[in-house]
Amino acid sequence: VAKTSLTSPPWPEVKLPDPVEEAKYHAEVVQKVNKMIATGQYGRLFAVVHFASKQWKITSEDLIMMDNVLEAECGDRIRMEKVLLVGADDFTLIGRPLLGKNLVRVEATVIEKTESWPKINMRFRKKRNYQRKKIITNPQTVLRINTIEIFPCLS
Amino acid sequence: MVLLSAPRWLRNRLTDRFWRVQEVLKYARHFRGRKNRCYKLAVRSVRRAFVRSTKARREKKRFLRALWVTRIEAASLEHGLKYSAFISNLLKSQVELNRKMIADLAIYEPKTFKSLAALAQRRREEGFLAALGDGKEPEGIFSRIVHHY
Repeated sequence: VAKTSLTSPPWPEVKLPDPVEEAKYHAEVVQKVNKMIATGQYGRLFAVVHFASKQWKITSEDLIMMDNVLEAECGDRIRMEKVLLVGADDFTLIGRPLLGKNLVRVEATVIEKTESWPKINMRFRKKRNYQRKKIITNPQTVLRINTIEIFPCLS
Repeated sequence: MVLLSAPRWLRNRLTDRFWRVQEVLKYARHFRGRKNRCYKLAVRSVRRAFVRSTKARREKKRFLRALWVTRIEAASLEHGLKYSAFISNLLKSQVELNRKMIADLAIYEPKTFKSLAALAQRRREEGFLAALGDGKEPEGIFSRIVHHY
């Protein structure tokens, strides 16, 4: 039968690779990455961490400032548990949505607890003799990320 | 002797007018024209500047999000994906990175962004296959094809 413009659908045909072969390939890749982690063949690690309702991209020896109060004294070590992504030069581990606690360990220390610079909040309505001025200083905490470690427990 | 009322030559006079004026002028020093020197003009300008800064603090969030979206769109187009497809497929694969992070990864970690784009593309293809089905006729009473012989 001759091929017309309506023989095949107008969208491109999608073909997925063979599931068996794909499973083999996936297992190979996982083993390779596990070996790399176990032998320690990675350089600097970066991690994406969900902390204080924000996401941060952090490495070791990093300073982070958040706009709220932490119930920890200065000098306390903190372990951050909600890790979304960890990466090195040759591989990245993407969490769906989080990575396991036995895979990654992110340690931080509380360095400073201060207030922000005085921000001015002003409201003004014209011809009404209405103006209000308020000076706001938010409490801030500064953390230093000490280390990011990964352990070879992929499966 | 005790005086019950103050004498007439004693008046309450303002002594720190200079500092009260400086408090306002210090915020106007980098303005243009006479409003960085003259108090009457400076008061109005400084008031408008404060009001604008409070409103801008709320709009900064919208502006930054639009910037991240533009950056993610540009980066995903380099890998052959549109922004809508990229974001929707990432969310369907349960990757909960927000736009700020994805934009930062696209700038500083190109290999990671490439793997995210590949993940989104693969999820998109799987979605297409699931939607298209097997290509057979649907089972139903009224939608069953009737053959006349």
